[in-house]
Amino acid sequence: MSSSRKKVLLKVIILGESSVGKTSLMNQYVNRKFSNQYKATIGADFLTKEVTVDDRTVTMQIWDTAGQERFQSLGVAFYRGADCCVLVFDVTAPNTFKSLDSWRDEFLIQASPREPENFPFVLLGNKVDLEPRAISSKRAQQWCQSKNNIPYFETSAKEGLNVEQAFLAIAKNALAQQNSTFDLYNEFPDQIKLTNTQKPSSNGDSCAC
Amino acid sequence: MDEVIDDCLEIFTQDGVLLKQAAANYMTFINTIGTLYVTECPSSNRQRFIEWRPNDVTIDSDIQDQEWAVVNTIQKRTRTLSGNFPPDYHNRIKSVKCSFNEIKSFRMANKSRQLSFHDGKSECICSFIFQHGNCELLVGILKSLLKTAPSRRDKHLFIVYDSNNLELQQLDRSFAELNLQSDAHTFWGMFKNIREHPYEATFEAFAKVTDYVNKSLEQPPDDDQRDDLNKSITEYENTTIHSQGDYEVIAKVPELPKRKDFPRLRPLTAEQWKGHMNLDGKIEDIESIKTLIFRGGVTPSLRQEVWKFLLDYYPWESTEAERQKLMTIKSDEYYNMKLQWKRMTKTQEDNFSDYRDRKSLIEKDVNRTDRNLDFYAGDNNSNLQMLNDILMTYIMYNFDLGYVQGMSDLLSPILLLLKNEVESFWCFIRSRNFDVDQAGMKEQLNNLHTLLSFVDPPIATYLDTHDSGNMFFCFRWLLVWFKRELSQEDVMRFWEVLWTGYPCENFHLLVCVAILETEKSTIIENNYGFTKF
Repeated sequence: MSSSRKKVLLKVIILGESSVGKTSLMNQYVNRKFSNQYKATIGADFLTKEVTVDDRTVTMQIWDTAGQERFQSLGVAFYRGADCCVLVFDVTAPNTFKSLDSWRDEFLIQASPREPENFPFVLLGNKVDLEPRAISSKRAQQWCQSKNNIPYFETSAKEGLNVEQAFLAIAKNALAQQNSTFDLYNEFPDQIKLTNTQKPSSNGDSCAC
Repeated sequence: MDEVIDDCLEIFTQDGVLLKQAAANYMTFINTIGTLYVTECPSSNRQRFIEWRPNDVTIDSDIQDQEWAVVNTIQKRTRTLSGNFPPDYHNRIKSVKCSFNEIKSFRMANKSRQLSFHDGKSECICSFIFQHGNCELLVGILKSLLKTAPSRRDKHLFIVYDSNNLELQQLDRSFAELNLQSDAHTFWGMFKNIREHPYEATFEAFAKVTDYVNKSLEQPPDDDQRDDLNKSITEYENTTIHSQGDYEVIAKVPELPKRKDFPRLRPLTAEQWKGHMNLDGKIEDIESIKTLIFRGGVTPSLRQEVWKFLLDYYPWESTEAERQKLMTIKSDEYYNMKLQWKRMTKTQEDNFSDYRDRKSLIEKDVNRTDRNLDFYAGDNNSNLQMLNDILMTYIMYNFDLGYVQGMSDLLSPILLLLKNEVESFWCFIRSRNFDVDQAGMKEQLNNLHTLLSFVDPPIATYLDTHDSGNMFFCFRWLLVWFKRELSQEDVMRFWEVLWTGYPCENFHLLVCVAILETEKSTIIENNYGFTKF
């Protein structure tokens, strides 16, 4: 059944203050590369990656956004149809943690998902390779608990630490979100294709001309 | 008060607008969200209206357009209300509508998010909150459709002048002196011209399209012009449109004749440059110099001097002596502003979060601006310090705007070329792409869509039907003028051509149109959409 299903596209939005490592996380996950020469993101960019979640192959489309607050007015178009929102902060920079609430709220306002209280978020505390640490794991976890148990991962985009695991969780949450949205409607069976998908025999395929 | 708007032309549409205040009979709609329209009804003597409809009765089409205010120009959108509404619909109050004639003043408030209309007897007719912004865009449109002047006491209040008013007559006179009202004529004239001399007229026409959008509605075309337009529309109607997948292919489109070749000239040389200056160092023929730059760019070694003119640091009409004097003045002015932030104490900074946020963002961005170029490479690079200091000083120059991401990208090539802090600052401030709320960018993206619909309707339609009519995918192109897409050398060549202001303002929008046209088949064949660019 799973193979005959319609191809699944999961849309994931990465949000957080400027310079917390949104672009780096995305590139580490998709390309397994790190550079300390990424430029500030202007507007938004995205990369896609195929992932297998619970034996299903899905395409994850990861949107990397500009961190400066005033670009948020562009958010509506980018956020629409998101299946999961990834919030990122820098564990060495307290202000990037403090602003998480406003990023979360802004997302909920602009994306206006069907059930805001159940919309999946994932929190990433990035740059754990750096010292000194300003936000403890405990503090971050407390915040997550207060927001309906958001999953939390501590990552280092530079060293590739926990990045794979975090994005797998993101993919699972996104998929669950999409399925729950589809369940609201009567799921239609796959379209019946009227074209002949049978491959022509090799004889018929080749031609002397 | 509640007429059906079937025959009305929408001049402006904005969704996410909350009705804050209205007459008592609209009580049920107060604090609900809906869509705001500015409409014009040809059937009722071209009367214009502000109309707000709550969301549950808004027609569920054109979702794309509603996100951004779309100024609809050439085609009249045919929206019929019948069929989409319950049978008793026409008997109920369905919208808040007020005629332009009733409006005696309007006022923006609440950080440009709220707009209230008044009837001149200090009664508020209605008031709206723009949850998605764009309030200023509407004010701009109102200002172009109504004769208004800002109140002397309150700069957010605009008084509307009616035709029996003495003040209006004075205003009219001043408009006439400015010769603004001829724009509609000009447009129709140009339209005719485009048909006869397509390429010569097109550039000029493009520059006027947005003006036309704002002003033409006041001025219907004359008969000849109307015939031309009708002919063109008929041609479109005769084309066969068939559907392939989810976009329409228009098989026959009126074609422009073959494009004339305009070979690039060689870059402006030092001899040509000096040859255009008189003994006082004043440029004799500014237009011809600009044309040379537009057609060929500037020889790299000459850029350092020419850019200061192109970026309005040196006035084009100045003499060498005047420029020397200006440099002293501007240098003092710069260092004064620089001292303002340099002298800030730690306590002051601790108590000034807006400043602190800007400072830290600049620091972060400077550290990741063009570090691959030798000029900015390595640690403790003094050029990075200069980049930082110019942006910091810009905060003091324009604190309301402050620092916007992308500014470091625009400054970088200027500093790399001039290698001088003061001069780079004054050249940099010419870049006007940044607003607190991105209103300018939204307008540019809207204008780009308008141009594209005019130049190449199939690709515009394709983008509309692929969730890309908002042109967001061009955002970075426009914000930093292709800085991220082109090589350093190409960026410099492109920018100096742009800065000549030839052949029209907003030439960069035409460049975008040209790119999209060139890539049209790639985009359509690969079924690209907003999520695939």
